[in-house]
This record gives sequence, C-alpha cells and structure tokens, in this order.
Amino acid sequence: MLFSSMFRAGPGLPTCVRSPGLRLDRRCLSAAPVSLSALVCLTLAAVAGCREAPPEFESNLVRAMSLEISRDVPTQAALEDVAPVIEELFGTPQSPRWPTSWMANDQQRDLVSIDRLRIAAGGVTSDQENVHTGLYQEHCVICHGVSGSGAGPASRYQVPYPRDFRAGVFKWKSTARSEKPTRDDLMKLLVNGIPGTPMPSFSLLPPSDREAIVDYVIYLSVRGEVERELLSFAVDMLDYDTTPPEDDLRLMLVSTQNDSTQREPIMPDELTEGGEAIAEVIDDVLGRWVSAESSSVPPRTELKGDELAASIARGKEIFHGQIANCAGCHGTNGAGGLPTLDYDDWTKDFTTRIGISPDDKEEVKPFRKAGALPPRQIDPRVLTGGVFHGGSDPETLYRRIQHGIAGTPMPSVDISEEAAGKTGLSPDEAWDLVNYLKR
Amino acid sequence: MAASTTHDKTTAGAYEAPETELASSNAMTKTSPWPRRLAVVLVVLVWPLIWVGGLVTTYDAGMSVPDWPGTYGYNLFLYPLSTWLLGPFDLFIEHGHRLLGALVGFVAIGFLVASWRGDSRKWLTVLAAGILVAVIGQGVLGGLRVTMSARVLAMVHGCTGPAFFAMCVVAACVTGQRWHRKSVLASAGVGQSEEGASVSPRMILPVLLIAISYLQIVFGAQLRHALPSTSPGMFAHTAMTHAAIALLFWLLAGITWWRMRGCGDLTLSRPAAGLICLVAVQILLGVGTWIVNYGYPPILESLPGSGSYRLESKNLLDAWIVTGHVATGSLILAFATLLTVRLARRRSVLSTWAHERDA
Repeated sequence: MLFSSMFRAGPGLPTCVRSPGLRLDRRCLSAAPVSLSALVCLTLAAVAGCREAPPEFESNLVRAMSLEISRDVPTQAALEDVAPVIEELFGTPQSPRWPTSWMANDQQRDLVSIDRLRIAAGGVTSDQENVHTGLYQEHCVICHGVSGSGAGPASRYQVPYPRDFRAGVFKWKSTARSEKPTRDDLMKLLVNGIPGTPMPSFSLLPPSDREAIVDYVIYLSVRGEVERELLSFAVDMLDYDTTPPEDDLRLMLVSTQNDSTQREPIMPDELTEGGEAIAEVIDDVLGRWVSAESSSVPPRTELKGDELAASIARGKEIFHGQIANCAGCHGTNGAGGLPTLDYDDWTKDFTTRIGISPDDKEEVKPFRKAGALPPRQIDPRVLTGGVFHGGSDPETLYRRIQHGIAGTPMPSVDISEEAAGKTGLSPDEAWDLVNYLKR
Repeated sequence: MAASTTHDKTTAGAYEAPETELASSNAMTKTSPWPRRLAVVLVVLVWPLIWVGGLVTTYDAGMSVPDWPGTYGYNLFLYPLSTWLLGPFDLFIEHGHRLLGALVGFVAIGFLVASWRGDSRKWLTVLAAGILVAVIGQGVLGGLRVTMSARVLAMVHGCTGPAFFAMCVVAACVTGQRWHRKSVLASAGVGQSEEGASVSPRMILPVLLIAISYLQIVFGAQLRHALPSTSPGMFAHTAMTHAAIALLFWLLAGITWWRMRGCGDLTLSRPAAGLICLVAVQILLGVGTWIVNYGYPPILESLPGSGSYRLESKNLLDAWIVTGHVATGSLILAFATLLTVRLARRRSVLSTWAHERDA
C-alpha cells in the first residue's frame, strides 16, 4: 500500500487532501507502522525463541569407517562407547577438561594449563581490559573446525587444507619426523604463520593469547589422538564387534561428582580392563608429547665468496644426485613442474591405506559424508621462489633434509659420516645442500 | 541539475508546489525543508554506521560489551568518554556503533516529526514511521545478539542494516527536488523537443538489481557469520554462488545502464553508470576479502606473490578491505534503490502527463 501510493502520479507533492494545518488522515498514519511493528516484534520473538545451540565436538566418523573397512569389523558399538568416554575426559568446546588424575606424572599434567584452556575455549568475548576469551573460535575454528578436524567451514577451497590436529601429526617442527612438535615449534608457527598458505601470522596478538591457543591446539590434538587410539584399541584388543564386549572390557567411565560443569573424571583405584586401556592410551599419547625435543643440528660454518660458491655448487650436485635425489620430485633446480600421484597421510588414512582409490568418487563418497574433505594430490614445492613453508633459516632447512616432512611424501635423509656416499649425506654435504637451497 | 532550473525558490530550502497542484488544492502551501534535510542526514549517518558495524564483525568485537542497552552497567550515553576513547579497540567500535545507532534513532524521530508536521504526503509520514520502527527493531536485534550471544542474530542484524539504509535512501529520494513533477518532466525532455519524452525503460531491470544485490548481501552475511558447525560444502557452495552472481550482477548493471542511457534521462543513466563502477570495485574488494581471510584460491595461484603471501590476523589494512566489501555491498543496494525509485517516479509522472496531454 505504501509503495503503490508513493509513486502515484501527482504534481510535485502530495496527492492527499491538504489543509492549512497539515492535519493528516489518522488511519493512513497508523496502519503501516503498526503492522510493521507487529512484524518486527513477531520476527524478534521468533528468533529469541530459538536459542543458538553451542558448537559440539563431533565424533571421528572417518576414523571409525576406516577401521571398519581395514579390520572388517563393525565399529558402531566402539564409537558409541568411546564418544562418552572422550566427553567425560575432555569435556566440551564450552567447558574443556584436562583429565589430570589419569595422567602418569606432572610433566603430562603440566603439558597444558586448564586456565589457559578455558580462555581459549567457548564463545568470543572481550572486556574493558582487552582480555579476550573464546580465542579458538575467534581465530581458528573457521578453518580448523570445532574438534580440530581441519574441516572447518572455510576449509574446502584452501590450499593446502587446514591441519587435522586429531591425527597428532604436525609438519613444521624441530623434532624428528615421528615425534610431536615442541611447544616452541607451535608458538613459532603462530608468530610467523605459514607464508604461501592460508595459515596467518598471529604476531599482533598478545603473547598470552598465543600461549592459550597453543594450549588449546595441544588439547585438541591429544583429545583427537586419544579418540583415534581408543577406537583402534576397542576393535583390536577389546573384542568390540556388532555389540560391546562384557563389562570388564568395555570402555566406560563413571562420574563420581554431580556438578556437571566442573567435575573432572577421577581415575578409580581399581581399573577394569577397559579402564586400563584408557589409561594406557592416555599415557601413550601424552608420553610422546612430553618427550618431544628439538633435534640437534651440527654447527654451520659461515661461508663467503669462493667458498660459498663452491659449497653451493656441491649442493647443486647433491640436489640432482642419486642419494638425495631432490630433483626427482622438485624438478631441475627446484623449479617443480613434475607430475605427482601422491597424497598426504591425512588423505591416505581413509583411502590408499585401506585399499580405496582416492580417485574413486563412489568409494570416497561415504567418507566425504562422514566429514572428510575431497582427496587432493600433494604437489612437491617449487623451491625457486625462496619461500619455505616451515621456515627458511639454515637450521630449519637442515632439519627438513634430515627428517623430511611428517605426514607427506617428503622423505628423510640419513645424515651421518658413516652413511655419507652410501645411503645418506655427511653433515657438511647437508650444509652444502642447505646453501644451495638458500642461494 | 535540471531541478535547479525548474523550481522557483521562494525561501531558502522551501519551494512552491507546482501550479497544477495549486489549482487542484486551491491553497497556497509550502513544504518544510526539514524532512529533506533529515532524510539526507539519515543517509549520511547510516552508511558510516554500517562501516562501524562491519568493523565490529571483522574484529569479532560484538561481545566486547556484554550488556545491553547499557554499557558495562552505565547508561549508554553516560559511559565514561575516556574509557571509551582510550580503551581497547573492540570496546571503542562496539560502543561507538551503539552511540551512532542511537544518534540515527534520534534523527529518525526528527524525520518522523518533520514529515508529519512539514509535509502533507501521508505516505511519507508512514515511511518515516516505518524508518523509526526499523531503526528501533535493528537496535533491539543488535541488543539481542549481545544478550543472547547469538551469532545467527548477528547475521540477521547484518542483513537488516542494509535494508534500513535502502529505506533511508528512499526517504531522501522522495523528499528531494528531483521528485517534483516539473523536475521529472524536464529530466525526461518534455518541452525540449517536439517528440516529447522518450519511452521509459521497464521496471524489471532495476527491481532485479535490488533483489539480486540484497540476495548478495544475504549470501555475504552467511559467509561472514558462518557458524562453527557450518559444513565446508555449504560454505563453499555459498561462496561460489556469491562469486558467480557477482559477475552476473555486473553484466546486469551494464545492461541496465545501456537501457537507461537509451531514454536520455541523466538522472537515471548516471546512477546506473555509478552502479557499474561500484560493482567493479566490489568484485575487487571481494577477491581481496577472500585473499586476506583464506589466502589465494586455486584459481588465482598463478598471480605473482601468491606463493609467498603471508596472512596476518588482525591486520588493519585487511580489516578495512573486508569491511569495505561489506559497506560497498550496502552502497550498491542503495544505488539500485535510488535508480528504481527514480524510474518508478518518471514512469508515473510521464503516464499522467500523457493522459493530461491526450485529454
């Protein structure tokens, strides 16, 4: 009504009857605002009535399906028992827990701080002192997802995909290939970001915020890995099949306290076999986190002029040689361009390792529905741009050659005097290669 | 331009009603300049309000003031100035957004009173009342977003803001001089040639522009306020649809400009041309928004610098690019609305004029 009357042809102004006092027809005045108000109020009442559900950790269905295919055993019963155990141990995205009573020593207990976890968890808020909470949701969840699966809302078009923390595998670290990263490694990643990828630098955040995010990432990784290992343990060792095993073997936790928000799962004095499995898995996962140490790097001699040129020339030879054979993947002079048919470990976990071709869309489809991102081939880096994702300082490049890159086809090279010239490189040769990469 | 030549100004800002109207009403009436002034003030205030609101989302600062309608227990207007201006940036923009919103509310009240008292068009008063209701509703929506800590409401709030902006543009349009019959006839070329006015373009194109630009705002809000539980597939589909429609919209803006230009009315072809430029800027800002949020998409990997580009969380320039994309979206909706209102007015005036001439 409003709009049809607006455009009605009329002289410059009003089409309605005017009087010197400009008194208007009250019916005309009241009808539209009242109906508009009613509409707005109804809409507001409707939206107010349906409160937003807080985000929840989703179970690792992809892992359960992989196990089901590789072990040829149904995993539904195991999944149904593991999910409440994980929630009891680690809480929810709003109220995370760190199950200290299940941990073997103080090192494990101190791996993360529950206070910092609470700062990183939950919804985003900040106060007059600029103290932020909900840091994971503010900075990470859009890519890494609520449970750290790497399948956050914006993950689909990112190259590479955001990291799935739940496998406990991290690429960029100073430790050996099979080890966890150190806290320092994760902190450096947050400060520097990963150039050439969607992982940003968080250097503008206060250090305390970065510390809290590191705690939360470790927490998600431990939580995810415990879940993965418990699922494997249930199927491999505890006789889970279409139905759960007898009570003694079942993975169960009994709450002993009533306050559902603050309670912490207490380890009973006497454990069932299922309980022992839980303790064993937690100890195994946390043991690897607390034992992680940066690998040592032999001293590097600073070279200049002809010495440096000679080192670079030797490095080039090694790059294209039979032992390191870097050119086999990275192309001549590191220019790339070679076709690859390989995938990273996160993709292999639900494809090649269980006999599924990543190219077979029909076979991959159930995993996609369960939350996996589409398989994507991994390309060796083009090294000519001088940009290295994990850092470009000489020590980092040395470690990269020595340990390869965890979770990817990039292999490690044995660096020792004994292996030199046979199956590996000497430390000096490795430094020559580093000098060539940094040329 | 044409308007200035077609009206005899009597007093500053006020004008005489056209002769035909005088004849019919048989009374000398003057319209107050205040509705026009306040409508313009509304437009001028609401676009910055959208910018600041956009910054609030960009910085995830929506919950930096946990209460509403007060601020940390203070009355909104009594919150200490020093804490607001010198406190955290999140608090600065959130409280600033609320203050600016309140100011818009006061101006909307003034506009309602001015329209009621100073303009005899009933429907203008209805429109002014609608604007007041909308600004109150928008404030309540923003408040509920805070008190319920609901990101979905933030998305709704982000979608209704541009709609409110479009309402203000309509208000400014219908209170302006170009609304007048003489001005419309002059812009249409009536009396300047023997043929009279050229045929008016059809309404379908500008109406489509409004519909699509608003649809784009809704899609953009879904990406910007994506819930943590949103599936990657849904997000990706929304992003692709958003990008594809943007290109389609640009094409449509070009066709619209061509149609408007054909009728020779500069008051139509100029906003249409402005729309083409704005959409071009918006597409660039959209690409920039994706890059500063998620890095270079695979389709742009070949661009120089993509391999070494490093994203930085909370980077100031990045925040302005993202927020600029939000604000330009609203501006596009506003231009499409302006064009539609002007075209509708032209069609209606010319139709009456032709009627009168034939009679």
